[in-house]
Amino acid sequence: MAGVANTWGYGAMTNSLNDIRHSKCIFMIGSNAAEAHPVALQHILRAKEVNNAPVIVVDPRFTRLAAKATDYVRIRPGTDTAFVMGLINAIIQNDWYDKEFVRTRVAGFEEMKEVASHYTPEVVEDITGIPASEVVRIAKIMATHRPGTVIWCMGGTQHHIGSSNTRAFCILQLVLGNMGVSGGGTNIFRGHDNVQGATDMCVLSHSLPAYYGLKDGSWKHWCRVWDVDYEWIKSRFHSKDYMNKKGFTLARWYEGVNQDDKIYQYTPIKAVVFWGCASNSQSQYFKLKKALDKLDLVVIIDPFPTMTAAMCEKDNVYLLPSTSQYETEGSVTSTSRQVQWRFKVVDPVHDSKDDYWIMEELVKRFGFADKFYKNIKKVPDDVTRELAKGSLTIGYCGYSPERIKKHTLNWHTFDIDTLQAKGGPCDGEYYGLPWPCWTEDHPGTPILYDISKPVAKGGLPFRARFGTEITYYSGRKENLLAAEGIANPGSEVNGGYPEFKDVVPGTNWKTDLSMKTIKYAISKGMAPFGNARARCVVWTFPDQVPVHREPLHSPRPDLVAKYPTYEDKPNHYRVFTKYKSEQRPELVKDFPFVLITGRMVEHMGGGAETRSNKYLAELAPEMYAEINTRVANDLGIRSGDMVWIESPEGGRIKVKAKITERVDDKTIFLPFHFGGFFQGESLEANYPSGHVPYALGEPANIVTNYGYDIITQIQSTKDGLCKVSKA
Amino acid sequence: MARMKFLCDIERCIACDGCVIACKEGNNVPVGINRRRVVTINEGQPGEKSISISCMHCSDAPCIAVCPVDAIYQREDGIVLVNKDTCIGCGYCFMACPFGAPQFPSGKVFGARGAMDKCTFCAGGPAETFSQKERKLYGQNRIAEGKPPLCAAMCATKALLAGDADIVADIYRERVFRRGSGVNAWGWSRAYGKK
Repeated sequence: MAGVANTWGYGAMTNSLNDIRHSKCIFMIGSNAAEAHPVALQHILRAKEVNNAPVIVVDPRFTRLAAKATDYVRIRPGTDTAFVMGLINAIIQNDWYDKEFVRTRVAGFEEMKEVASHYTPEVVEDITGIPASEVVRIAKIMATHRPGTVIWCMGGTQHHIGSSNTRAFCILQLVLGNMGVSGGGTNIFRGHDNVQGATDMCVLSHSLPAYYGLKDGSWKHWCRVWDVDYEWIKSRFHSKDYMNKKGFTLARWYEGVNQDDKIYQYTPIKAVVFWGCASNSQSQYFKLKKALDKLDLVVIIDPFPTMTAAMCEKDNVYLLPSTSQYETEGSVTSTSRQVQWRFKVVDPVHDSKDDYWIMEELVKRFGFADKFYKNIKKVPDDVTRELAKGSLTIGYCGYSPERIKKHTLNWHTFDIDTLQAKGGPCDGEYYGLPWPCWTEDHPGTPILYDISKPVAKGGLPFRARFGTEITYYSGRKENLLAAEGIANPGSEVNGGYPEFKDVVPGTNWKTDLSMKTIKYAISKGMAPFGNARARCVVWTFPDQVPVHREPLHSPRPDLVAKYPTYEDKPNHYRVFTKYKSEQRPELVKDFPFVLITGRMVEHMGGGAETRSNKYLAELAPEMYAEINTRVANDLGIRSGDMVWIESPEGGRIKVKAKITERVDDKTIFLPFHFGGFFQGESLEANYPSGHVPYALGEPANIVTNYGYDIITQIQSTKDGLCKVSKA
Repeated sequence: MARMKFLCDIERCIACDGCVIACKEGNNVPVGINRRRVVTINEGQPGEKSISISCMHCSDAPCIAVCPVDAIYQREDGIVLVNKDTCIGCGYCFMACPFGAPQFPSGKVFGARGAMDKCTFCAGGPAETFSQKERKLYGQNRIAEGKPPLCAAMCATKALLAGDADIVADIYRERVFRRGSGVNAWGWSRAYGKK
């Protein structure tokens, strides 16, 4: 999401699932939505049928989604940027790009064009394995079917160059002029009904809620919202620098315990809380086992005893049974930025307690309940109110529990194509008030950066987030604001303008809790965040324009010299992170197969819940590895045989072989939902009695490799190496 | 009177198994009994297709013809049901069915199969409508409630259609018509090329 936010302002899906119904072309890369997002397929298949939209699926694996494609492109894992820059180059070279869009709403085009020119169809073929003629053919399909949408998921992001991949996808849409229009956009599918909400609340280590960051001003803003003394918050930290310093990430927190890589913190980590989080979704999982056994305290808050619980073999674990989503209520934000109210269906069963209760009891015992609950009298309604009050950056300010419930209860009054209510109590509003929803009477923003509508009616330009002028490395100077004549209807300034500030002295649109700034901007027909160009060049990233870099563990040693990874990065989210020193071209000799992981439709995440469902376990009872027929025959493996998969780091798993043409003869695929086995041993005895999941299996992540994104530190699970042998 | 039918649109079915799970959870079907299944052919290759299959509630159903104890019967709306109190578990219906629909609980002594179980179109069974007995032996009676079967109601891509045959046929006809329009129109690709 960092790549997307740094292109045009927000790191979220720009359109909506329903809006895909208007697409004339659907380009999906690193997504197996047929298994991961089945409901989205309803809209995708409709566009395919009704609009005759080509469905282009780019994936190393012939997935169930690929079975529904009009054009399937098999790509070598980890080469997305090379392919997409190749498409961009073909589009520019053949003069298929949207010149007016680029002239008026895009910055850094010349610098990007220069970089893209390296990725000729022949170069792309060498890097990606996709025939040169296919590169041009796919580019032409996209150029002749507009507007088209680009969709991706974790297959695009989980790489050491993940943030370059996502930027390349965005730039592709910019050169095609597919942004800010119905049927276009970058539709980045999120995992479940509240992943966008979790991201918005920033359950991550680098920001306060709503993407405010960790600067002093950010803390002061939220302290005002919480009505808590800033000095008191400061006093809670070890020292003030830790307030402004990014924390460990989900991908590498265990190094804070193990310290195999150097850490940058005054103390190792001593306790960990897994709150609805599956540890078996973390790469190099066998290293996590070591950390769990070293910690003083491990707390697991989950409806099911997870793989984490079974892995802990030291007496340091506490299980707090929480309820499922059906036994509690609250607001959730979907992938399309739509907020809905999730109502309670039944009271909590057995001894489980909802998350709010657990949080409250913890806070009481920590002794700061008076401060924590200052604005919260009724849970969860007042929680929604508080986060709406503070989250001005993403326009949560128009939300109230009453308004959200009204939408959810009247969902039948909204049109399936436009998402707009026709009559009824929500007349004219968009379903779920897609953010930004600026005020109590704003209808929501169904499509981001759409300049065809007034801001008050759900339109917006690109966000002015990166200054007003820049001199590039090329020496060229460019105005970053949108061109003359480019603005939403009714805007008092007919062209670009910077963000609004000092309407209330000393504040800007993000920190003015009186909301005067936002309302003032909208009354002038203008966006509170300004009107700028989207960037092809991000001068704060190591790769200012996306370029291909070989995976750390590359199957193509000959390309490593030409497309090397980054220099090692000390203090990357508090831990030394290896790039160059980990790129070992010789590895492929002993580890000849590329390892990719992914989802299966029957299971969810770490699988604690779904593997404990007898019917789902019946449908998908066993962990397996997908192995190409040729590979299996060469290695003497027959369908159903047990095989060992081993990683260069020393992780190994024993799984059943599934012989299939889904993967090619260079690739092994593993589903990542299994748990309950560890490197050949069953952990069944470690579960509390009566709580053993029906389906147990080796976690795929035991063998996923070292490698982390240079910006976000997301784990690189889709381009490692492995070896396979008959067990 | 309306004739109830199923239709699975293979251009739409993504093999998500949502229909199977909806059926099992909603009707408390035991593990091992499959009133509905998703079958995939050419898995992992171009031409991969999936289809969701259950009892088709045939006109002139062969299972009814072969049942020695007349346990199977057809309602006026075409739904084929079994009376579990009458069924002797002989398995003839299983041999006769072209879709493999009849299912039998296994593991009983002397190889007895137990009473046959199959898709009820979510129309319960011969026991009193909405009674405890009907729920236990046959599952939900959604048809009596005016609702479609669970499987079709759950289908994410609207591949599986269930209900009045005329309406089902209309929906499908319209889809096929749309798929055949524009560049997909007959003759167009031959005349002008598709790619």
